[in-house]
Parts: sequence; structure tokens; C-alpha cells
Amino acid sequence: MLFFENKGTFNQHMTKMPLSNRSSTKYVNMAACVSENDSDKKLEFFLKVPFPSEREAAIALQSLSPDPEPRKGGITKNLDVTGHTLSVRWTADEARILRVSVSSFLDHLSLVMETLDAFGPPVSQ
Amino acid sequence: MLAVVMVLQQASVRLILPAETMPVVIGFEGSANKIGVGIIRDGEVLSNPRRTYITPPGQGFLPGETAKHHRGVILTVLQEALDEAGLKAADIDCVAYTKGPGMGAPLVTVAIVARTVAQLWGKPLLGVNHCIGHIEMGRLITNAQNPTVLYVSGGNTQVIAYSERRYRIFGETIDIAVGNCLDRLARVIKISNDPSPGYNIEQMAKKGNKYIELPYTVKGMDVSFSGILSYIEDAAHKLLSTGQCTPEDLCFSLQETLFAMLVEITERAMAHCGSQEVLIVGGVGCNLRLQEMMGVMCKERGARLFATDERFCIDNGVMIAQAGWEMFRSGHVTELSDSWITQRYRTDEVEVTWRD
Repeated sequence: MLFFENKGTFNQHMTKMPLSNRSSTKYVNMAACVSENDSDKKLEFFLKVPFPSEREAAIALQSLSPDPEPRKGGITKNLDVTGHTLSVRWTADEARILRVSVSSFLDHLSLVMETLDAFGPPVSQ
Repeated sequence: MLAVVMVLQQASVRLILPAETMPVVIGFEGSANKIGVGIIRDGEVLSNPRRTYITPPGQGFLPGETAKHHRGVILTVLQEALDEAGLKAADIDCVAYTKGPGMGAPLVTVAIVARTVAQLWGKPLLGVNHCIGHIEMGRLITNAQNPTVLYVSGGNTQVIAYSERRYRIFGETIDIAVGNCLDRLARVIKISNDPSPGYNIEQMAKKGNKYIELPYTVKGMDVSFSGILSYIEDAAHKLLSTGQCTPEDLCFSLQETLFAMLVEITERAMAHCGSQEVLIVGGVGCNLRLQEMMGVMCKERGARLFATDERFCIDNGVMIAQAGWEMFRSGHVTELSDSWITQRYRTDEVEVTWRD
């Protein structure tokens, strides 16, 4: 599980997380960090997810970015891809809202990875 | 390049186009508690597997749990769809999915898989309106030409007629759907949700014989059900505890009242449109008593009634594929950045470019 604190210090956690329920469990190294921005009291959360290829990272981005956050206010989420890493950045007013959004995102990310596993690799363009 | 085979038959020339010109469409549906993946080619259903998230008696299904259920089975159902159709991913020409309306969390789960496979396979994506999926499947299966459509399910209640490139809503519920009303009675009297609460209410209603008078709330072209629901929830507690009626009587009375209202607003729309055909779609459309009552009205008007069976009435993947196919043929494509799901999506928002 991911843990984060919002005590105003810059915390960095390296987390191993099982993301596949299938017979071969995969562990993904994700760098996650949280900070509290003192000037406007917003929580921030960063996630970097490496993929086996640039193409798969791009696919994940396109699958995960179109839907708006269910909750209109109090949270923003930005996704980006550099090379074969998907990076996600959240800003939130409250820890509870942040937790829900991150948790939901990780479920969806897990689903993308399982789909890539089961129905990949991508066809050549 | 297309290989075209021409066969000369006496004075006429017949063009036989090879199968590659007929697109194979896969459709993903999961806006409520059913998750289905279906494959269609030129009006032929190649596969249509489905799973239903069934809650214990007395409980409805919540978005988070429903999404979790769909997430757990969707990839299996997808593989089943391909296997049953005898196809590989490379055979699919486009990927259709439900853009809305429906419950947010399950819609997102399904859309994510659809987007991912569309990209993996390098195929165009099509965001389909769920209601139009029902209509197009009903049209395909029954071959109704231009019917007045009664779309009734747990989430929707609309009377629809096609006019000038839109499916126009002539009448609808101003609060809850008729199926929702039935489902919530089922919860109060704690009957099983397997295979669906509506099915079990229908079976119980057959054994009811006391008619309990309920409010009848047709509002012009529209209907209202939340008042009837409050009334019957209250009546259920009072009458059942004093033994004045049985649960079967409640089921019977509610069906008779709700269905009579639906027949009335359908007839009103038919009169407006001068229509001689009725098509019932949506999960509640499986109900044989509703079909019977609608049939009586149609017979009186000299109109024809069309309905499908539970394979296509109840939410399924192939109806999304069929609507997707119509859209694809007429040049629609959904860009990935526009593929966001939406809980509210009016039937008349879509430009129906595939009909005149």
C-alpha cells in the first residue's frame, strides 16, 4: 500500500505494488512523493510509472486521461508521458479527497496494465 | 485494394463484395450492473457474452461495487467474445463502447478497456449512446421500419420517435425510471435479484389476484413514478403486516398500474406521429405482461407490436456494436481525447446520420 504524510516535509517513498491478479504477478516500481505547499496549503502528490515501452506508456496516457474527475472541486490531476514513463501529478485541498482520487487512479492503472498484458503487444503502426 | 467479383446473371449484373468490406465491430457495455461484450458483422451477431452483478435480496447495486465487479470479469468476457466468434483481434475493424448515459464508475471501467484495446489493435473508437444502442438493436432484430419506441429499463423510461436525423423524445419519466420503481419494490419485499428483480416481480404478479389501488400519474406526454413508489412502499408495510394482501398482490397491482401508464403515453405518441408500429426495448421490455397490454392497444389501433427477447432487451455488448456499426458506416469516429464518459447523455443529442 502507498502511504503518504502531509506534515509539510518532502517525503519520498519507493513502493512496490502488485498490479496484476493473473498467474504472473508483476511488481512495478513507482516513485511517489507528497508535499504540502505552505503558501496555498494545497497537498501535492506525484507518481511516476515506468512502462516496458514508449508506445505502451502513450497508450496508458490516452486510456487514463479522457475522463474528468468525478468530484468537480478540490482536486486536480495531470497526466503526462516522457519516454516510457507515465507521470501523474495531483493537487488537492484535503487528504481524504486526494486518497480517493489516487486510489481510484491506481485501480484504473491496474486495469490498463492487465489489458496490455492480456491483449498486447501493440500492433506496429 | 478491394477485390471485387462480378457475376453475370442473364441480363443483370450482381456485385459480390468479399467479407473484408463488411466491418466487424466489437461493442462494450457496462453502464449498469450488466457487463457485456458483443461482436457483430453486417447485422449478424457473432457473439454476445454477458455477466450480471447480482446483489443480495433487499440491496441495490452501488457504483463502486458495480465497477469492481466489471473490472474483475471484463477481460475474461472480452476473450470469450472473441473465442465464441472465432475471431482474432486483427479481425476487428472498430471498437464501440458506451459513452453514456449510466453510472459513472462502471462506465469508466469499461471505457478504459475499450480505449486500450482500440489503441493496441490500431482501430478506430466509437462512443455510443446507450439508448441508441437499444433502439438500433431492436430495429435490427425485429425489422420494424419506423416504430414508436418505448425504451424502458431500470435507468431509463422514454418514448422515442425518429424524425429528421434525431431520435426525438416524445415522452419520458420526470423522475425515476419504471424499472427503478419495480426494483425498489423488490427490495422492500426482499425478493431475490437473481436473475433480475423485475423478472421475479413478473413471476409473483402472475399469482396475485387482489388489485390494490395505486396513484396513476401520467402527466400529459410524460409519466412520474416516485409518488407511486413512496405510496407502495408505505402500503407494503401496512398491508403486509396486517395480512390484508400478499406480496404477489402488490407485484400484480404495481405492474398493472405502471404498464397501463406506459401504454397510455406510447399511444399518445403514436397518435401524434401517425405511427403504426411499436417497438419495446430495454430490460423492462422483457416483461410479457407489458407486451400483452401493449399488444391489446396496438390491436385496437391496427398497429404492429415488436419486441425482442432477454438476449437483446437486457443490456448487452452487441447492441453497442450494432449502433457503433451504423455510426462507423456513416463516417463517425470518436477521438480518444473526446472519449470521456458522461452520466447524462440525452437520446436526442446524437445526430443520426445513418438514417434519412
